[in-house]
Amino acid sequence: MQTVSAFSPEFWTAFAPETVLILGLAALFIIPNLGNAKLRIPLTQIRIPWFFGGTRFGLTGAAHLPGLIAVGTLFSAFFLATWSQFDDSFTATVVVAGDIQLLKIDAFSRLFEIIFLGAVFLASMASLDRVPATIFEETDELVEMYDNRRQADLYLLMLTTALGMCLVALAQDMFVLFIGLELASFATYVLVAFHKETKAGTEGGVKYFIVGSVASAVGLYGLSLLYLWAGSLQLDVLAATWSTNGGETLPIVALGFILVGFGFKVSAAPFHFAAPDAYSGANSPVAGILATASKGMGMIGLIRVLVVIASPDVGAGSAVWLIALAVLAVVTMTWGNLAALGSTNPKRMLAYSSVAHAGYMLAALAAVGAWVSGDIEGPADYGTAIIGAVLFHLAVLVAFKLGAFLVLGLLEMEGGASRLSSLAGLGRRDPLLATSMFIFMMALAGVPPLAGFMSKFLIVAGLVKVGVGEMWASGGPVSFADLHWVWWLALALFINSAISVFYYLRIGVIMFLEPPEEGRRKPLPYGISIRITIWVCVVATILLGVSGDFLIQLCYSAAETLF
Amino acid sequence: MGSTANMDLKSKEFALIGFLALIIAALAAFFPNLGANAEGNVDWISIPLVGFPIITGVILLAFASQESRTGKKKIAAPIRLACLCFSLIPLGISTALFFDWLIAVDWSTLGYNEYMLDSQYLWMESIGVSWHVGMDGLSFPMVWLTTFLVPITMIMTWDEKDGATYHPLLLLMGGALIGVFVSLDLFMFYIFWELTLIPMFFLILKWGGSDRRYAAQKFFIYTFAASVIMLLGLVTLYFLQPEGSGPFHGTITGRTFDMTTLFANAAAYNLGENVFLGLEMQKILFVLLMIGFLVKLPAVPFHTWLPDAHVQAPTGGSMLLAGVMLKMGAYGMMRIPIAIFPDALVYYQDVIMAIGLISLVWGSIVCLGQTNLKKMIAYSSVSHMGIILLGIASMQPLGYAAALFMMFAHGIISPMLFAVCGAFKHHYRSMEIGDMRGMAKWSPFLSVYMMFAWMASLGLPLLAGFVAELMILLAYWPIYGWWILLPGAVLAITAAYYLWSMQRTIFEGGDEGQPPESLNGETPVDISVHENIGMIILAVFTVIFGIFPFIALGMMDDWTVALFEGVFNRGGI
Repeated sequence: MQTVSAFSPEFWTAFAPETVLILGLAALFIIPNLGNAKLRIPLTQIRIPWFFGGTRFGLTGAAHLPGLIAVGTLFSAFFLATWSQFDDSFTATVVVAGDIQLLKIDAFSRLFEIIFLGAVFLASMASLDRVPATIFEETDELVEMYDNRRQADLYLLMLTTALGMCLVALAQDMFVLFIGLELASFATYVLVAFHKETKAGTEGGVKYFIVGSVASAVGLYGLSLLYLWAGSLQLDVLAATWSTNGGETLPIVALGFILVGFGFKVSAAPFHFAAPDAYSGANSPVAGILATASKGMGMIGLIRVLVVIASPDVGAGSAVWLIALAVLAVVTMTWGNLAALGSTNPKRMLAYSSVAHAGYMLAALAAVGAWVSGDIEGPADYGTAIIGAVLFHLAVLVAFKLGAFLVLGLLEMEGGASRLSSLAGLGRRDPLLATSMFIFMMALAGVPPLAGFMSKFLIVAGLVKVGVGEMWASGGPVSFADLHWVWWLALALFINSAISVFYYLRIGVIMFLEPPEEGRRKPLPYGISIRITIWVCVVATILLGVSGDFLIQLCYSAAETLF
Repeated sequence: MGSTANMDLKSKEFALIGFLALIIAALAAFFPNLGANAEGNVDWISIPLVGFPIITGVILLAFASQESRTGKKKIAAPIRLACLCFSLIPLGISTALFFDWLIAVDWSTLGYNEYMLDSQYLWMESIGVSWHVGMDGLSFPMVWLTTFLVPITMIMTWDEKDGATYHPLLLLMGGALIGVFVSLDLFMFYIFWELTLIPMFFLILKWGGSDRRYAAQKFFIYTFAASVIMLLGLVTLYFLQPEGSGPFHGTITGRTFDMTTLFANAAAYNLGENVFLGLEMQKILFVLLMIGFLVKLPAVPFHTWLPDAHVQAPTGGSMLLAGVMLKMGAYGMMRIPIAIFPDALVYYQDVIMAIGLISLVWGSIVCLGQTNLKKMIAYSSVSHMGIILLGIASMQPLGYAAALFMMFAHGIISPMLFAVCGAFKHHYRSMEIGDMRGMAKWSPFLSVYMMFAWMASLGLPLLAGFVAELMILLAYWPIYGWWILLPGAVLAITAAYYLWSMQRTIFEGGDEGQPPESLNGETPVDISVHENIGMIILAVFTVIFGIFPFIALGMMDDWTVALFEGVFNRGGI
């Protein structure tokens, strides 16, 4: 573990993916604006070329440019983050400013960075087609997009989102975490409302913005209460203070507020009401980012707070959030699944399925809480098992949830994906695309041998492990009553899984059985980068399901660093 | 992503033939290379047995699904021929195994928890999953049955519409089914168990009857829901094992999914008066596991997915569904819960017997009320599966052997029944029993096969079904005495209904006969050549196993004896 001072030269190299992101942001600010502007020195007639502004050059004025810059930046950042995990010389680094620990770059935070950067990279690659830089059809909507500045706006926001999310992943101080959260959130709010020419986009964006701001404000209030109680917002100071004074009312109330703030981000019930509107109003790659990376952001906040801070080394009693979390988890998963059953808009359906998946992860967190609070005696690998499973789930969600949204994105390019009947007849029009969508749906349902089954299985394995506890250690008869109530969360998860199969299967039935809608008989738009992205997601879904061992080990070793 | 629609037909055929040649060459190269073992054994044979149909099925499916409508019609012939050839390879392997041609396989030497062709490769290190395959007297007849039924199904339904995607799906289905039977690792078992749902879902969805949408979804969701409950039981069982047991235990969890390790642990613990995990936990886990298997079997009251699935499924789908998929439930029951939780089995013996009896009686009686031919056969399947449950609940070696043989015999007879129904539907466009009179006049071949299949199903001696039913009745007499009259009477009544429906359909109607209205006055034709071939082969094997049941019964008896020695007679029960 090395300590590095903020903004020192070693900082920039340790902070490599974020450095690349910042450079990319700078490039996106500057390069598309380069032109033949000239600056006149005052009191003279000398004009010096000052390239910033004026009529732009052919190259820098091209509409493709911002997208390519952004994709290149994100890919480099993703590559650097991933490579650092396989590099033997990687050591955990703590970034300090004086006495305060700001950021910590270790396996756990790197893994989250990989997830975030991967998701935003895939979404931006898909946006190259979804928010196209070339006109393939002269509609007013598309002519709007064909503008270098509008393109630059989009990719600026995407890079900002990525940067904010990475900050959240690395944060060691709750306030730094909040800054990163807000940075990413604000960019996301604008991304959701990006298509200001459509009504759904604006409505979704405004709803998401208002609800999100309220949730953030509540979360910030909780943080301020924590600060009042502990005197600092450093994670380790908070953890230490909790272990001595954890039973007081003030921190528990603060925790409740923080739960609301992060619960919104994770789209847990009853804070999820803005999610369906936001997902259906945003364009599909952005909705995909919301469903995968944004959820991960909320998850890491919850993990830091609930597991790291509220982890009393003293016995039970201060884990009052445990019961609340378990109830929240079951309500969330059930609500999400039942609401999805009734949806007729595929994006809303996927939004509710996101809510359900958040419920599954919250159930896992409740199990961690049971172990952490001493309800169950057990070694550190209990926590590792569950957090590792949650990490794996977040990682593979990128593959199939984002993939599902990207398929919807392809349909949007053609004319809209807001009704289930938009998917009708896809089996005939584009069999490979329909098969990919079916694979994504089956992965979401948890059908083997796909990655979705693996991740659901690992979560259940974690839940059952905590539920079973150390029962075999004594050998001989075990009593069913000795099973911790966390085991019932696993049963609830499976029952919800069975319920969810209905609406995932319905997509398959519609695609393969129903005739296409009127006016949608032609083949789908070509869009090579969005198709490549979908293929990458399909391959990842299948591969990570069949031989996902290396990712499992990566996630588990990352989780180990927490305990 | 260009599609293959741009290639012309000739080059596509060349591509297919080249692909076939490549596969055969790879196999031929494989053979001598894997003599890594000093004894030159072929333990690895289970891997191509499973992997080959699946991989070729997926590749052919991907190839065919990209075609346009006309392209698919043109490519149907080479693809179905390729599928037939590819499905004959596993049949060849399993028959060779049976006749000791590849290696010397002696099933009688296997004790409890010992397997032939046992090979294990590490798959997922962190959670303790290995690719562990092996066969014993329980699974080998099922494997042979599957490899046998897939080509027969393909031949029977040679002319099915959209053959370019239909036949690869059958191949894929066969591969997944074989995978269920040979896997000796719980995780692998579950993966193949669920994998069989997807091809069957598509078969019903695309080639099914008028209500196929409902039936396909009901089938998938019902069996999936039951399977996840079973999975919960399996995961709980996994964590209730001691840490560090078994060769491939997980690096993170410390446990393994390996079935052989689990069985050995349970058997080691179950000596004398001890009860593995205690009776309470055994009962709960037993119930959890049995839910999954009972729904698959299907046992009343969880059988309601079956009539819909069967009636709406295409002929090929029904043949594989009834012939093999239902046996998956029985196989799973015999493999896992009974071996690990014998005390729970004793506790629930009467319950299982009751469920079996109710299935038998209910299935037969509801059968009496049907006018749709296929639905009638579906309910008769339910009642025959009830017989299997009776055998399991009997806790007698004879009962278990009877259950095993019923699985096997029903697996040969019911595809024939569904083949007859399918031919009926194909040529007469109706499946209502009341519609047709005097079929013997126009379709003598179909009439003969229908008589044969009906007789086999009701248990005529010298045909395979009789052996199984006789063994069950013999096994039941010592335990339940005069209660045996109930299933006996029901069997007799059902036989009467079969005979009546047969007589009406084939013989009545006077000299002119009475073709169904659905034909609109066309002259009915007899069945085609490929349907003939398929049904003759099934008929011949029904007779073979009826007259010489010991061909299969030998290894089933050995397995039953080993089971009783290893599990039941350990001094406790």
